[in-house]
Amino acid sequence: MIVNESVLVLGISLLALFFAGFLATKINQSLTAIFIIVGMILQNFFPVTIITEFIATLGIIFMLFMFGLEFSVGSLVSNQKKIFYTGIYDFILNFPLGLLIGWLLGYDLIQSLLLAGIVYVTSSVIVAKSIIDLKRSANPETEYILNILIFEDMFIATFLAFIVGIVNYGKIDAISIFFVMLKTSAFFMFFIILARTSKKYIDKIIDIDHTELFVILILSVIVLSAGAAAKIGLSEAIGAFLAGLLLSETKQRHRITEVIKPFQQFSTAIFFVAFGMSIDYKHFGNLIPMAIFIFILSSFSKVFGGYLIGKKYALSKKAGLRLGFSLIPRGEFSIILAGAIAMNHNLPYPLQCLTGFYVLLSAIFGSIIMKESDWFTKWFIERREKEIKPIDDSSTMDPHKSL
Amino acid sequence: MSEIKESDLPSIGKKFTLELDSNDKLVIVIHFSGEREVFKFTKDSDEPISVTRLTDEEARQIGAILAGAYFQPVIEEEQKLIMKNVTMEWIKVTPDSLLANKKIEELDIRKMTGVFITTIIRGETVLPNPPPHEFIKPQDTIIIIGNNEQIKNFISTFDIKQPVENDRQ
Repeated sequence: MIVNESVLVLGISLLALFFAGFLATKINQSLTAIFIIVGMILQNFFPVTIITEFIATLGIIFMLFMFGLEFSVGSLVSNQKKIFYTGIYDFILNFPLGLLIGWLLGYDLIQSLLLAGIVYVTSSVIVAKSIIDLKRSANPETEYILNILIFEDMFIATFLAFIVGIVNYGKIDAISIFFVMLKTSAFFMFFIILARTSKKYIDKIIDIDHTELFVILILSVIVLSAGAAAKIGLSEAIGAFLAGLLLSETKQRHRITEVIKPFQQFSTAIFFVAFGMSIDYKHFGNLIPMAIFIFILSSFSKVFGGYLIGKKYALSKKAGLRLGFSLIPRGEFSIILAGAIAMNHNLPYPLQCLTGFYVLLSAIFGSIIMKESDWFTKWFIERREKEIKPIDDSSTMDPHKSL
Repeated sequence: MSEIKESDLPSIGKKFTLELDSNDKLVIVIHFSGEREVFKFTKDSDEPISVTRLTDEEARQIGAILAGAYFQPVIEEEQKLIMKNVTMEWIKVTPDSLLANKKIEELDIRKMTGVFITTIIRGETVLPNPPPHEFIKPQDTIIIIGNNEQIKNFISTFDIKQPVENDRQ
């Protein structure tokens, strides 16, 4: 009986998602934000069912698998220098900010770390899509943006494994940190070495013409890796991510994407809905000003960081600012981090609700800002060129001004 | 010839940048989805002045046009053949052609004329290196390769009236 009702609830949720998503695409909004809002509305009508919860878990697994799959180790290796330097800049400027905010809010170390990750990680899904929609893929700043996104995703994936590892271990001290780090890196190394050395064999094994068997084999690889990660006390998401990395170098990559994509789209949508349903906006509406505050602060640090990176790599000011403005949207990874561990909900600022509001703000306004940043950068640069400040003399001397 | 710079756009695709002689830049992005985008940047500008989005199929067609495959300048048959030693010729098989509905081996093309059929283009499908038992059907386009003598020989032996495409090496 419970199952029957759950199925009905799932159907209603999906239909609601369809209509909301349909409207969202009409106004060019990101689906992530809309799905969360649908969840927030639906919580008034029915609770999260076992089925929704189960699909949401699969949603994380499939999402991370797709990340891994679309993440080519080859391009990571060949661009490692660029990725590392741009990424580390962005990291230094943005990660400590969240840590500081967490400390000010009275979070413990683990929650502060999680908040740091939530505030730091840009949504690669929203940003990559916006870049394509806004026809910016050939712009000079785009490569830097994408490199930063790779660094962030890679960092957060490792970070997530580590945090979950620490929490599962039970205590935080030098020995446990060392032990968990060792375990995490061993798990990562195992998959990376496997991907690099046994490419040929993997290629042969998964080269199955029969579509049904192919899907089952790929699913078993994904779920097994996720399960193995969970078994050794890391997060399932990481196992799936590494399974994706493992298969990303194979010839069947596109076919895998094709068959897994529908599962991923379905389950990820439910994941966002379930997350939306868990945001208790009636009792914690007072968190909204706090979320706005964090949003403004972290947006500034992202734009500033992007501007600095642009300067370092001799991009024009305009491109540098566009780089910064493109890093504002937060999304999927922030939500995964917020739900990574079970937390005490009686704190004055429950992390999960705060993240919900924060992600909504930054996903919605972030993509609007990305689109509308042009007039702002124009205005900003023109203004600075008019009032030539003595400090900025060197940087405002644009070549075309002297002509 | 200008240099083409190639770079990765992780999670989007690959980017090719061409510095043109006019100092403008042409950037072609090939998306993982197969879509292509062609951007034009004027000198020193970091925003494109034009963007063209193409599907995979459109891009291929346009590529063929740019490569000169569709354009048939009116050149005398004779002149066409006096190119270099090895020539490729695109031949459309008309329903009344001597080639139509015959197996390659049964026509004995290689022995009789010296040319070799490298490819059969049949509607949407392309058959490279067709086996000897493959049929040549009406409406096929076949690509043959040989030296000038052999091609001429082929054209006269099989009474070809209208090779479709321009020749190339």
